[in-house]
Order: sequence, then structure tokens, then C-alpha cells
Amino acid sequence: MANLYTDVDKYEDAASPPSVVAILHGAIKDLVRRRLDQTGVSWQEFVFDKSYALVSAADLNEIERKVVDGGYRYTGSALISAVERPGAYAPMNEADGASPDFTFEHDEAMVEPVDSTGRQRRGQGDNVVEFPANTIGTARYYRSIQDVMIGLTEGVPEGTIAIIDDSGGTLTAPILEHFHGVICAGGTVRSHLGILTREYGIPCLMNARVSGIRGGDRVELEVSGRAKTAEAYQRGEDMSVRVWKLPAN
Amino acid sequence: MESNNLTYTKLLETNNLIRSAGEETYFLGVTRTVQESKFFPVSAYIMLGYLNAFYRYPSLLRKIGAIMAPEDLADRVRNSTSKIQSMGTNWCMINFYLLGREMLIDMGLIRPQDAAEDVAFVLEFWRRYQLAWRRETGHLTNKEGGHRSQILPERRVQVYHADMYLCEEGDPLHTAADRFMAAISQYAVLVACESRVCMTNHGPYNLGNGRELLVRDFFDLAEGDLPWLDGVAKNVPHARLTITTAVKDTHFYMVDDWGSFESRPEYKAENICGVGLYTSDELSETQIPVGMGSRSELIETFESYAEIFKEATKNLWERFAGYSRDQLLDAGALTYYSIIKDFAHVAGCYENSDWMEIDERADRFRVLLNDEYGNMLLGALFVPLTLASQQCSEYTMMCHTDLPKRSYSPIPYSTLADGEFVPSVGDVLGAGITYLPEKVDRYRTTQGVLGLDELNRRTRAFTPALYSERFRYLDDAWVKYNYESPLADELYRIEQASSRQLRDRGAGLRRDDIDNIRDENTGSEMVP
Repeated sequence: MANLYTDVDKYEDAASPPSVVAILHGAIKDLVRRRLDQTGVSWQEFVFDKSYALVSAADLNEIERKVVDGGYRYTGSALISAVERPGAYAPMNEADGASPDFTFEHDEAMVEPVDSTGRQRRGQGDNVVEFPANTIGTARYYRSIQDVMIGLTEGVPEGTIAIIDDSGGTLTAPILEHFHGVICAGGTVRSHLGILTREYGIPCLMNARVSGIRGGDRVELEVSGRAKTAEAYQRGEDMSVRVWKLPAN
Repeated sequence: MESNNLTYTKLLETNNLIRSAGEETYFLGVTRTVQESKFFPVSAYIMLGYLNAFYRYPSLLRKIGAIMAPEDLADRVRNSTSKIQSMGTNWCMINFYLLGREMLIDMGLIRPQDAAEDVAFVLEFWRRYQLAWRRETGHLTNKEGGHRSQILPERRVQVYHADMYLCEEGDPLHTAADRFMAAISQYAVLVACESRVCMTNHGPYNLGNGRELLVRDFFDLAEGDLPWLDGVAKNVPHARLTITTAVKDTHFYMVDDWGSFESRPEYKAENICGVGLYTSDELSETQIPVGMGSRSELIETFESYAEIFKEATKNLWERFAGYSRDQLLDAGALTYYSIIKDFAHVAGCYENSDWMEIDERADRFRVLLNDEYGNMLLGALFVPLTLASQQCSEYTMMCHTDLPKRSYSPIPYSTLADGEFVPSVGDVLGAGITYLPEKVDRYRTTQGVLGLDELNRRTRAFTPALYSERFRYLDDAWVKYNYESPLADELYRIEQASSRQLRDRGAGLRRDDIDNIRDENTGSEMVP
């Protein structure tokens, strides 16, 4: 079988590509070797000319199909990916927060007993901006386009503390400014959601780890605590502030 | 294959740029946040954008270069806001291209020496443009300037300084500016499909008295190049906006090549103490004030524009929510890939098919671009540097990590001796593919809404005075020793023509004079 230029690599053993990359790129390399053998074309003819036909979209589609047919299921990030190809993606965690019993359950969430005021610590997060006082509101999950669409058409209830697992700034874009506060289970204070909540003056915790907070629960965010700095991220320093679940009114 | 275009000197220069670009990419990857999204397949579209850049940038830059040299492009665009300033060219242009190349090397589809002439050409085009655009400090990038982005000549900074309205937290202007910046930032992130390539920052510039000027630029806001804005952005009155912000008691110690900043203490909107608003493009002589006639007009402008951007955000979000994954992939990939499309606008040769389609040579990989592959490959390319092509001798200690790795494959010098390489992907573009709706022929400019042919015609026909042979070489180094000359006065008066405070003041002003002029002219209007 034809050898590729990169088949001889003195330091290749130091490479550790992610498995999905290794699988797909390995299959492409095999295809290139086969095509060179089958057609006898030189590399000079192949690389920016014949390869467009010899390594075609149909060929790459066949490679990808074999991966999925072999049982590999991709980890999705964009909601639409699994919606359009449910058979190719591993199931995403319950894609929306519509179920009244849904809760984030993060292993790293620090949970403490109920204190003397009746509030119970249910987690922590990185504070985006330090405010003069803590923020209290009603937890509601916004995890899908459907969740946001409902907020858009029916309005966001006053005092909503949005619980989100997307640190991007686009999923919740049309309703973000109506949130009273945000708990985001991802990203950093520099993520788009962190930047935009800062611009809007909305209290926000990023990289939050929480447990046992249901939609409708009253929660308190310790946003009077210090905002996490860039230096703290670089040093790996924990500057997280607390999240409490409050007794019902 | 023999090449007349590659010399030892050229290859040495090319590999120098490849190495320094890779090291800064690693630094940015370590220090900045990777953006996630449940709305857009971000990493997947980034990969598609990189591949499109690899296959298309060489021929499109040659097409542009046949009309205007890189130095001419820089001088022509110097006095207006464009995507080919700051982040777009500091980092995106060459790194998008090189990341696409590295992907293909790891797939075994090209060798490090293939497309060597293209690589040398793209990087040389970039270097010449950057040297000219950043000529006031002489740095190629913000990184080279110690992560500082001081690119404006004194005459422009003086106008920004003089014309901004002072404000403080809680007053109507500060409140309106805050809300406006939140609304436009959110809109820009959505327009750019969860990326920041439609907004950037440059500066800081020292305004004295503990204040620094940070200039915030926003691009592609209105109906124009991006097909997904047709209709939904019909009420957005400007395609590009520049917001000048004076910030007190805050030192911006880093403005990196992604346009992100770090400050001590942490940046807070409450420390903004002055604001201004401008628009410009290739059809304007220089920056045009927007709503800057009076303090109350600026407040009203910020408030009304914030509402326009919120409405456009809602409409665009609903449009994107109805898009297929292929459409979202296209929108994101084209947003990335077309980061340098304004070269074509400056040269007056912009074509929708050049910049808003995926080349079939890149599009064949679409089927592989699932979310996991995109995320994993993007991660591997940037920080862990785990691909085979990125591994080096155990003695190597890479800048910023000390590990035996590199971001990008250099071009082997053996190429010069054995000629064993294929110089270029070719000058003919592959067929273009898009799943997006057909582009409507409406382009919002400073001269109104135009069709593309008319926009290109007007751009080619317009020579800004500051770009004329009489003025284009008059930099701050010349002004230092010639500020009393009539020519210097003439130069400054062109920049000052639309200035509320500095009109016809000429070249003799120093920074402290600006605050005095403000006091003389504005009186109580300065006071929040």
C-alpha cells in the first residue's frame, strides 16, 4: 500500500489525538493510500487536483457512516445536532427544564445543612460582578430553544433567576435582559453569557455547581462576594460564592 | 516541482511568521475562554471556516492584490472602521488559514511543503498589510507591542477625546450608554453566530487625569454582506459603529490580538466617564459622528438604537431558531472565513460568491463535522497540541509551555533543494455551496442603501483626501517636527472637519489643550 509522507514520523508516538479525531483522520489516511494505489496517480497530480474527486464528499460520508454504524455515538453540544441526527448522537441530558422535577445534580456542588434562617446551601459559582447585596429570586430552567421561545412569547416572570447550562450568549439572547439573575453551569466569567450579563447589570454566577434546585424554588445568590479575576483563573484559585435554596414564602 | 517564487530568505521569513503565530495562538488558547453554545455548532463551523480559508484565501488575496497592494489597502482604510483592523488581521487572517492547513496535514491530504507558495504569499500579504496599518508603532501585532493596541494617529485620538460627552454612573447618558452597549454587544454576538468577530476593542490611549480611552468597534450590523441579516436588520441604521469610551481609574494592561482586554482593577461599567459614537466605511472620508450634536441627542440616540438592536436580536434569533444545522454551519463558517472580506470592499471588488459560499473542496468535509469532532479537533489544535504534526524532538521547549510541541508545521527547507512540493492550491476557486437563502442586493453604507455593483463602483471612484499622495505618508513622526507647517494644519483639519469641538483647530494642540477647549466650549453641557 502507498505510503504517505507523514507515515514516517520520528515523534509520532508522542501524539495523543482525541479518539474521534484519530478514528476519522486515520480512515481518511487509509482512503488516500487506497486511492493512490488504485489510480497510480503521483502525489503531485493528487494533492490539489485529483484528490478532489478521489477523496469526495461521498467517500467521506461513507467513512462517517461506518463510524456510526459501528456503534460510535457523538457527544453533542448544539441542540440541533442531536435533533437532526438522533441516531448519531448520544442522548443529551434532558434537553429542557420543563419537567417540574428536573434539577441539576453536580457532584462538585457543596451542600450544607439548613441554617438557622432556614436557608440551605445548594452549591456555588464564580461571581461575574460584585454587587452591594445578594440577589434573591425564583429559579427557572432555560435549557432549550423551546424554553426560550416560551419566555419570548409568554414573557419571563418577574424575579426569575435563570438556571442555564449554556455559557454562550445566543441561546437566551432575546430574553436575557429580563432575568433577575443567572446561574450558569458552565463557562467562566469571561464567557459570552458572563460578559453580556455584566453589560446588562444582571447578577450572574458562571461555572456554577448546584444540586437539588427545582424550577419554582426561591434561591439566593451571594453576588455581594468578590468577582472572580482573570488572575484567579490562571492560578487555579477558587473564589466561588455560594448559592442557597430558601424556604418557600 | 520547481518554483521561481520561493527563496531561502522567503522561506525563513515565512517560517518565522508561522512560528510566532503558533505561539500566540497557544497563549490565547490558554488564557482566553473557549466559547460553548447549545444554539450553534460552534467548533464544527469554525473547522469548516478554517478549511474554506485554506482553499480560498490565496486566490482571493491575489485577486485583491492585483487591484491594490497591501500597503495601499492599509492606507486607504486607515481613517475608517473596518473588520480588517484589530482582531480580524492581528490574529484571525493568518491563523484561520494556518489552522486549516494543519487540519489537512493531520488528515494526510497535504504535506507541510505543499501549497508552500500559497503559505508564503498569504503570510507576506498579511505582514505587509500589518506593517502599514500599524505603522504608528511599527508592530506587526498587539503581541509584538506587549499586548497593546495603539493604532490611531494623534489627530484622530484628539477628535475622540475632544468630542466625547462626559458622564458618570447614574446619570442619563451613562445609563443610556450602558444599555446601548449591552444591546449592541448581544446583537453582535448573535450576528456572529456566538463568536466575537463582529466586535473588537483597541487601545488604550492615555487621556490623562487617570483616564484611558478604549475604542470599541462593531461591524456587519446592518443589511449588507451577511445573508442572514436581510430583512431582520432593515431598521439597523449603520453597518459599522465605533463607541469611544473614557474609563477612569482603570488601567487596561492587556489588549490582545483577539481584541479582548484585561484591566486593573477589574473593568466596571460604572467607571466609564466619557462616551462618543461614530460610523464610517470605505465611502466616508473619516469617522462620522452619530447623534453627537448635543448631550441630549446622544442620550436619545443610544436609547433608540438600543431598542432597534433589541428588536433585531429578537428577529434574528427567531430566524436562526428556524435554521437547519447546515444553515447554522454555513452562517458560522462564513462569519469566520469572511473575516477579511473587507479587503475586497476596500479594493472595490467584493463579490458575494467569493465570500459567502463554501468552496466545494472544503465542503466535502461537512459530513465529518459533527459536534464532538469539531470540539475535539479544535481543542487539540489550540492547547494540548496533541496531533502528530505538532510533536517535536524531546529537547524542544515550546514558548509558554516548555513541552516538545509546536502549533503549526513549518515548511521544510529541503523544499528549496529537492523541489518536492506542489506550490499552490490553484488560482481557480472551486464551486461555491451554500444552504443559506439567496442574498438580497441591499448594502447599508454611509451613502445610504446601495446595490453591490454601485457600492463597488463608488468605492473605486472615491479617493479619501487622507489617502491622497499629498497626505498618506504624513504620520505622527512627521507631525512631531512639522506641526507648525500649513500642510500639518491642513492634515488635521481634514480629520477635524466633522468635529464639534476641534473644527479648524489644526495641528498645534496638545492633550491638555483638549480638556481646556472642552471647558471653554461646552460649559455646563459637560457636567452630567
